Amino acid sequence: MAEIESRLINCFATAFPELDPQEIPSVSMGSLASWDSLAGITLLSLIEEEFSISISPDDAASLVSFELILHYLQKDNLRVSPEDSK
Amino acid sequence: MTMKLAEALKVVQSVPSHALPLQVALLCGFTPLHLETFLRAHLCKLFPGRSPNVQTGLYGDLIGNLHRVAGISAAAVVIEWPDLDPRLGLRRLGGWEPSQLQDILSEVNRSCDLLQSSVAALARNTPLVVCFPTLPLVPVSFSPLARASEFTLELRSRIASLSAALSHLSGVRIVDPQRLDALSSSRRLDVNSDLSAGFPYTLSHASALAEVLAGLVLNPQPKKGLITDLDDTLWRGILGEVGVKGISWDLDNHSQIHALYQQLLHSLAASGTLIAVASKNDRSLVEEAFAARDPILREADIFPFEVHWGAKSESVARILGAWNISAEDVVCVDDSPMDLAEIKAAHPGAECVLFPRENPQAAYDLLERLRDWFGKDKISQEDGLRAASLRANAELQHDIKQESPGAVGDFFRQIDGKLTLSSQKQPLDSRSLELVNKTNQFNLNGRRFQEAEWQNWLNAPDAVFVAVSYRDKYGPLGKIAVIAGDLLNVSVNGVNTDSSGKRRLRIRTWVMSCRAFSRLIEYECVRWLFAKLDVEELEFDFLPTARNTPMQNFLQQVRNAPPKPHCRLSRAQFLQSCPTSSHVVEESPNG
Repeated sequence: MAEIESRLINCFATAFPELDPQEIPSVSMGSLASWDSLAGITLLSLIEEEFSISISPDDAASLVSFELILHYLQKDNLRVSPEDSK
Repeated sequence: MTMKLAEALKVVQSVPSHALPLQVALLCGFTPLHLETFLRAHLCKLFPGRSPNVQTGLYGDLIGNLHRVAGISAAAVVIEWPDLDPRLGLRRLGGWEPSQLQDILSEVNRSCDLLQSSVAALARNTPLVVCFPTLPLVPVSFSPLARASEFTLELRSRIASLSAALSHLSGVRIVDPQRLDALSSSRRLDVNSDLSAGFPYTLSHASALAEVLAGLVLNPQPKKGLITDLDDTLWRGILGEVGVKGISWDLDNHSQIHALYQQLLHSLAASGTLIAVASKNDRSLVEEAFAARDPILREADIFPFEVHWGAKSESVARILGAWNISAEDVVCVDDSPMDLAEIKAAHPGAECVLFPRENPQAAYDLLERLRDWFGKDKISQEDGLRAASLRANAELQHDIKQESPGAVGDFFRQIDGKLTLSSQKQPLDSRSLELVNKTNQFNLNGRRFQEAEWQNWLNAPDAVFVAVSYRDKYGPLGKIAVIAGDLLNVSVNGVNTDSSGKRRLRIRTWVMSCRAFSRLIEYECVRWLFAKLDVEELEFDFLPTARNTPMQNFLQQVRNAPPKPHCRLSRAQFLQSCPTSSHVVEESPNG
């Protein structure tokens, strides 16, 4: 579980390089001005790439904070994406 | 192995804030999103020290984006099916009924016509890379997927026609689908991403496409020379062991890959690449092999031959001297890892590659890499002259050495040197720009130009451009020098003068090919500038570089003082120091 959190922090640090690593666990779309829709797409693409998963559009709409994304990943969502299953 | 998105973002974020900007446009009809990120990252890797700024346009308006773009050095135009007809995309619902197929073809025809004129208009001022649809066609046709329908064949035929038509335009480069196929072999269409964000590519496809675009968009300079070994490289067999009759390059002796290697080298030589041989061998045996066995790579393609039992690194040093180029510009091919390591230790900049004689597949891959290293946009007249003129230059240097120092002037009058100068600025002369961007030694300041930047500067009314071609009894050298500058200080009556009322030319770029050294051509150029432009003074945008010693020596000699930035040379000063004119000079109206 700690490994998932650490990898997720790396994804956030890449998408939002201006963030202090200690701030990352508490950020959300509402608290971070640079987390707009395009940055959100980039963040989710980084997470899909890092964890080799495919996030459905329905799930993506609800993933609006670090905590929610971590919870999503920990809840057995590390399924294999169609691209990687080839 | 394609670049990952996380790596691309880190590459982009690591560009120093003081890096020189590189303005490039990415023009497409979809959301550029990760393709933009990957393009910036690949440009950062290809052009270290530059900060790529990628301009993008509006979603769904490729044609409008082509017309609006401005202030860029180059552009990548990425066309996908919905740009030709929205019914060929996933985000619009115009219908896929069989009765609509003819109408879709008509719409695609109209779009192609519009694209052709828009791309042609932009290409007049900006170098472009154009990529035609890379995604699979949506299931619009009624045929089973494995069967190519009349509709899809006609559609692809129209795209192929447009692609061929655009490839004829100067400044337009078309992405080769075969290269993209090799780099992007997994799934390309990301339906989720297209529907939710308007970005239709998988990350791996976006990364591969960006790599190809970046490699073409600013056209990195090709390598200049290839140095090849002979035994078990140019041919199969050790000449000293099997003799002239024992070496082979054919199917019967399972050595066809060596024939293909020779064929590629012969083609490279014909395209202006310098080819030399560095081989530990018996010189007379090698001469006999070339005379008796008639290899595909001809003796005339090769200059020089370094055949002896000494170290390969010494051969490479002598070849670089004969070619007057640096190790960074050459590729050495040899079947001996030890010889390659010895060359690499002495010439770290050289690309040293093993010829995998036991593995035809790996050898074929090497042929592809060689083609890529030496690939160029077009073949110029000078490309056909290069090897012959180097050989003639060696002969000239030998003849000069035979003359007494006082008789050198007489010698130059006897070689029938003729300079042809052209000041025509339009259309863009790619050979002149190539000279400016490739020449290191006789180079005023080492400044390089992108095509658009060069063209825009020359279009200015006060810009002066001179291209110099040369021939003498040793043969033609083709276009060997370029001088470009500005006439300064426009006075009220419209005449360009300096503060003292005399005309002055500020030379911002001056390069001359090393093949033209030792002929006093630089003095003839200055003499012509004073006479033709009626200037009283030249100002040089000189900067010392690691390799422009020949230019530094010339300026020192002609000014009788060490060169410095913005140093000047008056007509009187020049006439005191210049040698007597030895060449015929003529002007040409053509580039």
